[in-house]
Amino acid sequence: MAAQGLAGRAPRPASAMAQERRRAAAGGRLIEQWRRWAPVVVLIGLCLVIGAFNANFFSTGNLVRLLNSAAIPVVLCMGATFVILMGSIDLSVEGVVALAAVVASLLVANDVTAIAIGHLAIVPALAVGAALGFLNGWLHIRLKTPSFMTTLGMGFVGLGIATAILGGVTVRISDQSFRYLSLGRPLGVPMAVWVAALCVVVALVIQERTRFGRWVYAIGADEVTARQAGVPVERTRILAFVIAGVFAALGGVLAAAQFGQGHALIANGRLFTTIAAVIVGGTALSGGVGSVLNSVIGVFIVVVLANGMVLMGIPPYVQQGAQGLLIIAAVALALDRSKLAVVK
Amino acid sequence: MSDAVLEVEHVSKAFPGVKALDDVSFRVNRGEVIGLIGENGAGKSTLLKILNGVYQPDAGAVKVDGRPVRLLSPRQAFDSGIAMVFQEQSVLSTLTVAENIFLGREQEFLRWGLIDKRRMNAAAAVELKKVHLDIGPATPCARLTFAERQMVEIAKALSLDSRIASDITILLDEPTSVLESREVELLFSIIRDLKARASIVFISHRLEEVLAICDRIYVMRDGKVVAEVPAAEATVHALHTHMVGRQLHHEYYREQRQSPPGDEVILRADGLGKAGAFRDVSFELRAGEVLGIAGVIGSGREELARVLAGHAAPDAGALTVHGRPVRLAGASDAVANGIGLVPAERKVEGLVAQFSVAENMTLSALGRFASRGVIRFAAERAEAARWVERLHVRTPSTAAMTGGLSGGNQQKVVLAKWRIAGVEVLILDHPTRGIDVGAKEDVYELVRDITADGLAVILLGDTLDEVIGLSSRILVMRDGAVTATFDAPAGGKPEQVRILEHMV
Amino acid sequence: MTITTAAGGIARRSFLKGAAGLGAAGVLGAPFIVRAQDATWTLANSMRSVANPYHATFAKGGEEFAKSIGATYEVLVTEGNSEKGIADIKALLQRTGGKLILNVDPNDSPDARTIVEEVQAAGGFVVTQWNKPDDLHPWDHDPNYVAHMSFDGVPNAEAVANALFAAFGGEGGVVALGGILSNVPAIERKLGLDNAIAATGGKVQLLDFQPADWNEQKAFDITQAWITRFGDEIKGVFAANDGMGLGALEALRQNGLAGTVPVVGIDGIDAAVAAIEAGEFAGTVAWDPFWTGSMGLAIPYAHATGKIDITKEPHEHREFYGTGIVVTKDNVAEYKANPPQTDFNDLWGKATGQIQYRSA
Repeated sequence: MAAQGLAGRAPRPASAMAQERRRAAAGGRLIEQWRRWAPVVVLIGLCLVIGAFNANFFSTGNLVRLLNSAAIPVVLCMGATFVILMGSIDLSVEGVVALAAVVASLLVANDVTAIAIGHLAIVPALAVGAALGFLNGWLHIRLKTPSFMTTLGMGFVGLGIATAILGGVTVRISDQSFRYLSLGRPLGVPMAVWVAALCVVVALVIQERTRFGRWVYAIGADEVTARQAGVPVERTRILAFVIAGVFAALGGVLAAAQFGQGHALIANGRLFTTIAAVIVGGTALSGGVGSVLNSVIGVFIVVVLANGMVLMGIPPYVQQGAQGLLIIAAVALALDRSKLAVVK
Repeated sequence: MSDAVLEVEHVSKAFPGVKALDDVSFRVNRGEVIGLIGENGAGKSTLLKILNGVYQPDAGAVKVDGRPVRLLSPRQAFDSGIAMVFQEQSVLSTLTVAENIFLGREQEFLRWGLIDKRRMNAAAAVELKKVHLDIGPATPCARLTFAERQMVEIAKALSLDSRIASDITILLDEPTSVLESREVELLFSIIRDLKARASIVFISHRLEEVLAICDRIYVMRDGKVVAEVPAAEATVHALHTHMVGRQLHHEYYREQRQSPPGDEVILRADGLGKAGAFRDVSFELRAGEVLGIAGVIGSGREELARVLAGHAAPDAGALTVHGRPVRLAGASDAVANGIGLVPAERKVEGLVAQFSVAENMTLSALGRFASRGVIRFAAERAEAARWVERLHVRTPSTAAMTGGLSGGNQQKVVLAKWRIAGVEVLILDHPTRGIDVGAKEDVYELVRDITADGLAVILLGDTLDEVIGLSSRILVMRDGAVTATFDAPAGGKPEQVRILEHMV
Repeated sequence: MTITTAAGGIARRSFLKGAAGLGAAGVLGAPFIVRAQDATWTLANSMRSVANPYHATFAKGGEEFAKSIGATYEVLVTEGNSEKGIADIKALLQRTGGKLILNVDPNDSPDARTIVEEVQAAGGFVVTQWNKPDDLHPWDHDPNYVAHMSFDGVPNAEAVANALFAAFGGEGGVVALGGILSNVPAIERKLGLDNAIAATGGKVQLLDFQPADWNEQKAFDITQAWITRFGDEIKGVFAANDGMGLGALEALRQNGLAGTVPVVGIDGIDAAVAAIEAGEFAGTVAWDPFWTGSMGLAIPYAHATGKIDITKEPHEHREFYGTGIVVTKDNVAEYKANPPQTDFNDLWGKATGQIQYRSA
């Protein structure tokens, strides 16, 4: 009795089970592949449709312009992706971008202050971003308030400081070598695009090859398990917000270079674009799924759509509706992905 | 120099109002597989949490390799050589196999501050070989079956072996409760292999399995160790007795309450089929009958249950209820026609964990407790209280959150829900999975109560024994077809072997 | 089951308790302030935010006037939130016991009605700027609703559009960036542009119009797309405000077109004026926020102190447009040398006429 044991003895040979597993996996893999590639497919589809309407879409000039429009959003999304992968959210983007832009513009040759430290101004701007990011993470951990609330508050703090420093004045940058960050064209490609590309590479390395990147995914998937495995959850969380702050600050520096100005309103509207791009690209708001590359695709989908609607002459009233539909479709796709997780 | 790899000495732990562990001692020797059994509430999970570093004992000591250790976190326990493989899987599906195995321990593979994936995958491959798992270390865990994930967890535990000096102990918490027999056999052969490298503590409710794989068995009851028996000398019967503290009769399945079915045909299936799952299934279900469906994974019985419950539509055949043909377009259609499903995944599909007992019980029949759209709470509470008493649900009150009840009591709440909703046919999908012996008996009692009231039950049992013991008729399925039908009247039950012939 | 650390829990609790305490102190402290302000008028300007140059100067105008008469002055900021704007005004009315002279640029038109009613009930005086419902008139709320000031977007936009056309020789295609479609200024300025284009008899065509919501990044992206779509056909860019104009200018710059393709904007901010000097902007319209910020207080103050009786003033002194100055390269030097002066005693010197209601 003891030896016989269980409900039904005769176990099937290993090969049959392996076969069954492969069959199940193949079906599952197909669906999973489609969902993983869906954002790319959407992007290619968009490009083809727009190109059919207006072949100028594919001209070198326009492609360069698209890259230019995408540069700052990509930089912002790199940081935001880590926070969202962890299952949190960072709503302070606009505040950090504004403050960093204001700080940078006041420290290069400008019409308000006598300071002119040239490219060195980037360092304090990034430091500001890191500091705000650190506060985001630290308050979130210490006060145990949802990241939604702490970052929202921090965003207002950043905007408030920027406004208080300037008092409504717009700083005009006269340092042309600083503006090279936006206007320069090494090898015919705008400098901002090079900076954004570098950011993508750095973010990718962080995501794939560092322990921090691994831990972000683990925390996003299942914080309890991650903690039990010895992952330093609190430290990782704070670091993620710091990184997001630094990327946002870099975005602010690029914006200041792009417009040759620093003012508190320079960040208006960027929060929505950033979050929308991350989600449209396929990173789930619930965390654990996604990647910085997904966010890059997401940014391009948003930018190409906006560009395309103007190229195709779509009435302005319809454009907002189209963008809204895009967000809904992207979220629907993302939701389905989580349903596929093994429930048994 | 003792042979003991892990020792628990006179450990006690109390929480406000309850003494969870009372002077518990046991030891695990090198290369042994120790079974740890006991009803829910016996103290097993508290003991495991102490060994896993989540709790600290109030008194007594834990020793590894003869040295006392203080385990202040799961990570510390792990680094001391105690690895736990959980009942609810802790494999992160969004990471790869290698990433899961070395989660939190990546510093071993750093090169210039970055993780060397090639080295990590190679190390993972070594661990995977130890558990005979034939999958690539870079496979995303989302693609693995349940059993394969179990193996990854074990590989993770085993990876301690080559990395720490002391001997390791692996705690397996209910590892087989969701595995099918084939997978369980595989697990057992791996455990036998593991004995050379690690000692194992095997916690399970499935007594036959415990006897099959363990060398020694500890039985816990009410926070104490009440028995320690070598497996060779033990029987299921004896173990049961130790666990519940009372004699277990062959009346375990309440055979004496099994009555012959009535005449009225409630449900009839004619040539039901679903592409890729099953074909040509026909049967008649009468009032008071328990129809057991026996079959291994892939036999189609789970899919048949879902079709009967209205969760999926059949591709062929017809279903009639009380002579009326019905098309079930969803679960609500099924309920409207008097068919309810008690699912295997209670927490996911049967209960709303945040709802109270009363709220869950009335969920499917809220209309009866509402006048003009407003819920009458007093009526709801009264009905729930009636059923709590009738089914002996152990809950502080009808307002208690169902998520906090034990598995067996949750199952009773689900059953009560369907009774209140007035279903006539109850489909029970693995109703006693993960429930301890005492609660299982309550469930069997319930099944007899239900049939005595004139309802009919379709049963997908946890074990073949259960199917045979409870059913009045048995349908055997294999590879999507019905291969045999057996009558199973009280006192005239068919033998396991005869049924197995048609199952596998 | 995780065990939360006691330390984290306590810190949060005491922080929240402290915050609650501060809030309570603030509420309790309020009555004490009222007594101090009892006798004299308090002056206040309310606007969206001080982060933009127009409103920053608007606030400054009020401050200078208050200084000139030695009165207390406050700045209220709505942050784009109507409820906050109204709540702040109510609180200030209470604090000052109704002795408040308010110069408000409401966040949205409907807010004006609520604000006027509140001020009237408390016995204060109010002047509104830019946004109000068409059927709300100062003369229906004598004497508390003193005046409504605005600038006529239509003729000013038309004038600056003409400056644009002149800059590229009067023939060709233009693209236009609009503000938020539902804003009255956005509607007026589009109308002005349309009038200017119609008046050219077909010599100038509108290639495309896109709302950029007063946002320079949007203006940048849209202009880039236009460059792809229309290329050389674009002879000029019309922007309903300077912010968007500057965004469009940067897009042109990235494509080597800054200075070649002229841009016009509206608002008269420093950066736009500098761009006119640099030859990159063809023109802008300077409102006079210093004037609106100060006269919006001076006029009601004159009534409150008995210098004038507002109820006897004609309608064109109750609802009137101010003077916009079209700045182009022809007059930019002079404009910078002689910025508009404001004489606090010349109440209606810069009024250009009664406000008209167009169903736009």
